[in-house]
Amino acid sequence: MGNLRDKYCIVGVGETEYSRNSGRTTRAMAVEAIKKAMNDAGLGPKDVDGMMSYQQNDSTPSLIVGPDLGIRLNFWVDMVGGGSSTEALIGLAMGAIEVGMCRTVALFRSMNGYTEVRIGGTGARAAAPVRGQELATRPYGMTSAGQVFAPTFMRHMHDYGTSSAQVAHVKVAHSKHASQNPKALYKERVTVEDVLNSRWIVKPLRLLDCCVETDNATCLVVTSAERARDLRQRPIYLMGVAGRVSKPRTDFPWAHGPLSRVAGYYAKDIVFPMAGIGPEDVDLTGSYDAFTFTTLLQLEEYGFCKKGEGGAYVSSGIIELAGKRPNNTSGGHLCEAYTHGMNLVIENVRQLRGLADDYCPGWAEGKHSYDYSPGKCRQVKDAEIAMNLGWSTPATGSALILRR
Amino acid sequence: MAEYAKPLPSITSESKPFWDACRRHRFVIQRCLDCGSFQHYPRGVCASCWGDRLEWRESRGQGKVYTFTVTERTQTQGFREEVPYVVAYVELDEGVQVLTNLVGCAPGDVRIGMRVAVTFEDVNDQVSIPRFAPLEEASGAR
Repeated sequence: MGNLRDKYCIVGVGETEYSRNSGRTTRAMAVEAIKKAMNDAGLGPKDVDGMMSYQQNDSTPSLIVGPDLGIRLNFWVDMVGGGSSTEALIGLAMGAIEVGMCRTVALFRSMNGYTEVRIGGTGARAAAPVRGQELATRPYGMTSAGQVFAPTFMRHMHDYGTSSAQVAHVKVAHSKHASQNPKALYKERVTVEDVLNSRWIVKPLRLLDCCVETDNATCLVVTSAERARDLRQRPIYLMGVAGRVSKPRTDFPWAHGPLSRVAGYYAKDIVFPMAGIGPEDVDLTGSYDAFTFTTLLQLEEYGFCKKGEGGAYVSSGIIELAGKRPNNTSGGHLCEAYTHGMNLVIENVRQLRGLADDYCPGWAEGKHSYDYSPGKCRQVKDAEIAMNLGWSTPATGSALILRR
Repeated sequence: MAEYAKPLPSITSESKPFWDACRRHRFVIQRCLDCGSFQHYPRGVCASCWGDRLEWRESRGQGKVYTFTVTERTQTQGFREEVPYVVAYVELDEGVQVLTNLVGCAPGDVRIGMRVAVTFEDVNDQVSIPRFAPLEEASGAR
């Protein structure tokens, strides 16, 4: 697989408005996001012949969305999954093109994550059938993502002395970034005290440690580097990918390996050698922020700091826009929108193009002020290499390395 | 007995012997006769060596808190009326970890590493649910 480095590109990105009241079907939103991503790439309906999506019984599949856009598909697949699916599907799209099943893939995620199926087990999800691991967890009142992840966070605090105040800096940083993002749902900057004063949800998680819930669709277009050269945007090259890499037992991961170790421990050994770089070469990261802690745990596991030193790392200013290696410059899942990972990859693509859609009047021409005060610029200067760290659970994660 | 409002376990062929033992207030864990590995939650085969000769060993039902979380907000029926409550992974002295609730002490008093023992709640005529309490508080341990 290493020989596919730089042979595939992300050539188009697009999204709907990020809202808490779309008033639309996932089908209508998917159509809009795909159309925007294809327009971004300069592609018409005859230029895309592959389609992929991921969902949790809360979306509209490719074979319905494709015809709405007049696209005849040579390949489509809709996978079950949430976080960490974006990176995995990008890798699968590369494979589908490589073996000749199709030439260009539009990859989307459409979800009414606030008005229909909510992550915390409310809305339509509350009536979902019980299966798999839930057979064992529900009798003990463990039903939400926060509850499933929180024991890992508590153990990390115990093992390494990580403090709530340190971890709160993840929300602080992402809220600063969101204040420079016209698309972000929450644009207001918050302080460490704001996080620590917000109410408990599932200890050690307070309200502001948790991501937003939103309605939206997002789309990425993947094609070969050869085709990418003729398209509208500067191609963003795929250097390495790792998909849904997992700990030894994904259903009951606490029983195998230190609980405070997450899947990136294994994924790093796939993605970095494939890309031929190390963490020190990465200019900005998109470490999945379902919760503040998920960002921290993954930055540690991929080697951006030593294991156990994540608290010091995220509170040092490094992950902020003015810092050495900013994380989730759009505001991420904590502030911009919840898309199960795709907006975090879209943001890194725009950053590497030099076209972060901030408040700089000339952003569309790549003219940025690099003034990171509220309501101004969020472009990272001279960003060459970006990385996404996708999170499904503590036991499963994906990774992606991109360059311009 | 007042009607039990929390979710009941969905008992499968693999887990039925475990839940049957709980009904008798015994906490049992699977042990592989081929490689000697213990495993919990119950599976159809030994996940370590693929052996299918699994026996049920009775645990002393004692261990320590490996980690925990305190839920202050939930939508789960039966639990939402009882917040805050503690979900924990207890490491039994036999080595396996068990997802459970901690009862018998204030959520604010729970600490990683504290000694706990199993206690069974007979929630209806068929099902008893194992939870854990600080060792001196446990009533169901032998």
